[in-house]
Amino acid sequence: MEQSKKTEGRASIIFSLIFAATYLLATLLLKRHLLGQTASILIAILPVIAFAFFIFKYVKAVANMDEVRQRVQFEAVIIGFSLTVMLLIALFLLSLTDISYPEWFGYSQLVIFCWLFYFIGWLVSKKKYGI
Amino acid sequence: MKNTIKVERAKKNWTQADLAKHIGISRQSLNSIETGKFIPSTILALRMAKAFDTSVEVLFQLEEGEY
Repeated sequence: MEQSKKTEGRASIIFSLIFAATYLLATLLLKRHLLGQTASILIAILPVIAFAFFIFKYVKAVANMDEVRQRVQFEAVIIGFSLTVMLLIALFLLSLTDISYPEWFGYSQLVIFCWLFYFIGWLVSKKKYGI
Repeated sequence: MKNTIKVERAKKNWTQADLAKHIGISRQSLNSIETGKFIPSTILALRMAKAFDTSVEVLFQLEEGEY
């Protein structure tokens, strides 16, 4: 049981690293505009597939956690999701008035913000439950 | 909600790690429950009571104003 919990946790970390590697690689490759349209689409889909696998492993890892750790993950996701929605609302409303900062809030930065908000939520929740 | 986990642990001379192992959670999670930061589910409370050979009511009590 304990071994299975550790294996699931480790698998989700490994898949998060695989996702990060494919995402960075795809970004580097696609930025150079060297590939054709079909190849570009295939390269763009790779990190998405890696992310899907990561989420599958993450959900399994959370299911194997004890209830306090599950609560921490649950609240981290809620806080991360809420902060992301708040940012998107603000950006959308600002865009209506032609105020936009694409160099700070482009798609690539939004992905980073999502992760950042999740980790903020994780730290807040960890502190709340003292684990 | 208050609990007597620390007292029951002392009676058995168990560390947090010992009890955590008995009920299948991490030591940090047990600490969170023992300090009242997290209220455990019924099944975990029952598992804890079984580990101590006592009842859930002995381990967990509602405080004034929680009735």
